[in-house]
Amino acid sequence: MPYGPEAEMTQPMDDENSKADLATVREQWVGIEFDWTTFEMSAPSMVAWAEACGETDPRFTDPNHHDFQAHPGFTTHCMSGRVFPKEFPQIGGGFGIDGGKRVEVHAPIRSGETLTATTTIADIFEKTGRSGTMIFIVQRMEFRNEADDLVSTVDWKMIKKAE
Amino acid sequence: MTANRSLYRYFVSIDLNKMRLDLHTHSIKSDDGRAKVENYCKWIQKKQLALDGFVLTEHRQFDADSDYRHLEDEYGLVIMKASEVETDFGHVLVFGVNDDLLAAMDFTDIRLPIETVLDESRKAGAFAAPCHPGRKRVGLFAHYEDRGIVEGVDTVEVLNGGSIPGEDELSIEMAERLGYRGFGGSDSHVVSRIGFCATDFPNQQITDMGTLVDALYGGNFSAISMRPRSGD
Repeated sequence: MPYGPEAEMTQPMDDENSKADLATVREQWVGIEFDWTTFEMSAPSMVAWAEACGETDPRFTDPNHHDFQAHPGFTTHCMSGRVFPKEFPQIGGGFGIDGGKRVEVHAPIRSGETLTATTTIADIFEKTGRSGTMIFIVQRMEFRNEADDLVSTVDWKMIKKAE
Repeated sequence: MTANRSLYRYFVSIDLNKMRLDLHTHSIKSDDGRAKVENYCKWIQKKQLALDGFVLTEHRQFDADSDYRHLEDEYGLVIMKASEVETDFGHVLVFGVNDDLLAAMDFTDIRLPIETVLDESRKAGAFAAPCHPGRKRVGLFAHYEDRGIVEGVDTVEVLNGGSIPGEDELSIEMAERLGYRGFGGSDSHVVSRIGFCATDFPNQQITDMGTLVDALYGGNFSAISMRPRSGD
C-alpha cells in the first residue's frame, strides 16, 4: 500500500518549476502519517541519557526516586524507521542536513512503559537567509503511553538547499 | 496607559518624552524563534533594559491570535505585532498588518515582488521597510548593484542586532548615500539578544500599532545600538 500521494510527484523537481512544485508537495504531503513504531522505556537508558545531558536532578538520574522519569529530551533520540514516506518526492538538492529537534513534553515518561510513536510530515516550507534559499521539511513524532496519553512531541527539521 | 507602565518607564527611560522600541524581534511563533514573549519581558525587567517596548515581527506570517495585553500591563511595556516577509529584494518588515494586507499578498511566499509589498502596504495603511539591507542575499542593497534601485523605499533598518561585521556599516553608508531614514531592531530570536538595537522616537508617545505606523511615516526617529560591550 502506498503511504501517500503518488503519480507525478514522485519525479524529481527541477529549478524551473520548484515554487509550484513545492506548493503541490506541501498540499499533498503535509499531514500524511507514514510510520508507526514502539519504544521500550528502560531505566538504564533513561539514566544514561540524563547523565549525558549533564543532568543532576535525581528525578532523571535515580531509578529509585519516587518520581523517576525520562529527561525531557529523551524522546529526541528515538528514531523512526524511515525518514520520509515512501514515494516522497525529491525536493531540493542533496541529502539535506539535520536542522535540529524541538521537543514538547506533555506528561512524564516512566520506566517500563512502552511508547507508541507515530510519524507525520508536519510542515514543508522555504526560507531565505545568508546561505540562500532552503527548504525545511518538518517530521513530527508523537509519543503515546499505554494509556494512549500523549507524552511527548518531537519536531525534527531537515534542511535542503533549494537552488 | 496603566500606572504600572508609567512607573516602569520612569526607571528604564530617563527621557519620558522619548519612546525607545525594539522594532524587530521574533518569538517561538517563528520557526527559528526560541524566545517566549513573557521571557522577553522578564529579561527586560531583570536587566533594566532601556526599552519601552518591542515589536514581534514573525517570519512569513502575521500572528493575529496572540494577545499580549496582560504582559503589557504586568511588565509596563508596549508589545506590538508585525511581520517579516521575504521578497525578491530581501527581507522586509511590515508594520500595521491588517485584513486588507493579508488578503492582498501571500505572506508565506518567499519570492514576493518588493514593489507589491511596498504598494500594498501603503494602500492598506501599513508601513513597509527593508531590514538588514546590508546583508548578502537577504538584504536590499545586495540586489541594488545587479538590479537597480527600488522606487518607493525611503526607510531601512540600519542597525540590526544579528548583523555580522560589515553589514550594518554597509547599511548605514548606503542609506546615507540614498537619503533613506534608518531605524534599529535587535532581530532577536533568543531572549538575551532583545534590545541589542532599537529605535528612539523623540517627543512621541507610541502606545499601539497605529501610533507606531504614524511615527514611522512621520520620520522623526533614529537607530540606536545597545549591544553589550565585551566583558559586560
